[in-house]
Amino acid sequence: MKNILYGIMYSFKEIKNSKIFYSFLIFALILISGSYFVSQTSFINQGRIMVDFSIFAISIFNIFIGIFIGASVVYDDVEKKSIFIGITRPVKRTEYLTGRFLGLAAAIIFSTVIMMFIFYFVLLIMHKFIVPVVPNAGAVVSGAKSAHNNFNLQNRSAAYAAPNHPFTFYMLPQPLIIQGLFIIIESIFISAAALLFSLVTSKALASIFAILIFFIGNVSSRMNDLVKPVKKIIKGKVVIVNQANHILTSIVHFIYTVLPNFSIFNISSEAAYKLDISSGIIFYRLIYGISYTVLLFIISSLLFARKDIS
Amino acid sequence: MIEIKNVTKYFRVGFFGTRKNAVEDLSLDIDGGKVTGFFGPNGAGKSTTIKMIVGLIKASKGSIKINGYDSFDYRARLKLGYLPENPSFPRGLKGIEIINYYAKLLNKKINKNEIYDALKLAGIFYAKNTQAHKYSKGMTQRLALAVSIIGDPEILIFDEPLSGLDPIGRKEFKDIIFKLKERKKTIFFSSHVLADSKELCDRIAVLVNGRLIKNENLENIEKEAAVYAEEKKEDRLSGEYNTPLEVYLYDLMLKNRKN
Ligand SMILES: Nc1ncnc2c1ncn2[C@@H]1O[C@H](COP(=O)(O)OP(=O)(O)OP(=O)(O)O)[C@@H](O)[C@H]1O
Ligand SMILES: [Mg+2]
Repeated sequence: MKNILYGIMYSFKEIKNSKIFYSFLIFALILISGSYFVSQTSFINQGRIMVDFSIFAISIFNIFIGIFIGASVVYDDVEKKSIFIGITRPVKRTEYLTGRFLGLAAAIIFSTVIMMFIFYFVLLIMHKFIVPVVPNAGAVVSGAKSAHNNFNLQNRSAAYAAPNHPFTFYMLPQPLIIQGLFIIIESIFISAAALLFSLVTSKALASIFAILIFFIGNVSSRMNDLVKPVKKIIKGKVVIVNQANHILTSIVHFIYTVLPNFSIFNISSEAAYKLDISSGIIFYRLIYGISYTVLLFIISSLLFARKDIS
Repeated sequence: MIEIKNVTKYFRVGFFGTRKNAVEDLSLDIDGGKVTGFFGPNGAGKSTTIKMIVGLIKASKGSIKINGYDSFDYRARLKLGYLPENPSFPRGLKGIEIINYYAKLLNKKINKNEIYDALKLAGIFYAKNTQAHKYSKGMTQRLALAVSIIGDPEILIFDEPLSGLDPIGRKEFKDIIFKLKERKKTIFFSSHVLADSKELCDRIAVLVNGRLIKNENLENIEKEAAVYAEEKKEDRLSGEYNTPLEVYLYDLMLKNRKN
């Protein structure tokens, strides 16, 4: 346990100091700050453009961090032989691997939180998209409430916030915070896949595979919807119509079932309309991401335990 | 201390994954409290053997036990320090951060003074606040030595400890090995510099083409060397090699080499 903790700290420090990490981080921060200028190209709905653009930047860069560092965090250590001394201490290989992986997870959390904060400050300065928090009412506006009664609440709180409280504290709306959380889960998830691939192939191939998995995992549910047989009413009768041939349908369905579905972590449309995400959905998607990640990590750990390191 | 029994290691090479033996049917006991030198030409399988001992690679056949534990068990390394050949450290961390981290991975508390002492002994204390990837080869070697002796382990496995060092460094490292020897540590080190043999070793093992062809006390092997020198009656002491022992070991390796 103690060894894992030190491993995490060490690994986090190493990743945080790595060129690839802070170049991604800085680039994302530039994009987020730049979202203001992008939004200026439009006259309507500038806030929404900023949100879409920034969330896209935050998620894509964290996924990049997850994939590229995930594929190299152990691979490079083996390749450059810097693993030799650490792993010949009295530690279990699983402890080493856990330390490395959780260190990367910590780095992803760190970068997402920083990016979300910058995003928040940009919105704060623009005074767009943020919701006031009313101290005396005791309720945070962006609680886990259904989208249904959200509108009333917002109107009410806006009224509250007005004259009596000179210092109003503004927060990101709930779906945006949840989106940040989902980005963390998603990036850690894909990094576990990249780590697993990097144990059996080269770093470059592992990154490519992880990108492919991510891409397919994002479109697979939509693809599945496209090829699924649909009910149609033709001449007053309900008939089931196949939209694609059988082979294609089953291939797509197979891919949809086997590969992880990443599209569930993308809630930018809900975020853009400030629709609260229900706690059931949050819970289910978190469990989905975490259990998949744990499964991938266990496979990695079994592979790594017997691996020749030379 | 360390028991190596009938160990074979093959690597799979090429497209079809054909087996290539790096170490063949090696049996060797490394005694406690002694210095064993492990000699052999390039590619003999010395590093492969050492990596199997420290649990980096798994023997294809046979078993390796350290203090009764299988070499893949982490408990085998509870009292073991390892200096790899061409050591390397992660980028971006200072020497002191690196040694602190490795000291924490030991199963006992190491205080700051112990760490400083190890760094001083290895002669790298002055550069402790420099990032380790900016070290020269010899400096890296020194840091790795400091890491390997931290926590005062009983068993020390050094893979070519003297390579990459300047003459002063070589002398210093040898002195460190002498000191460790006086304190009755079990030391197993590989080298291809035959001159290291006589000064440091109690015992000499010679590996050629993955096969152990000699495993003797220093006295016995010196006697054999003297006899060999008598028989040969060649005066070759003037060149590269200065003692009968070195000539003997050299010829032994040459004879057993396949290619
Ligand atoms: N990972 C590996 N994959 C394939 N072959 C390997 C691997 N590691 C070592 N070998 C082979 O095993 C043999 C022994 O290598 P090893 O590194 O043990 O030699 P060595 O005695 O340490 O040599 P040197 O004195 O040059 O360090 C060599 O023929 C080498 O090519
Ligand atoms: Mg070697």
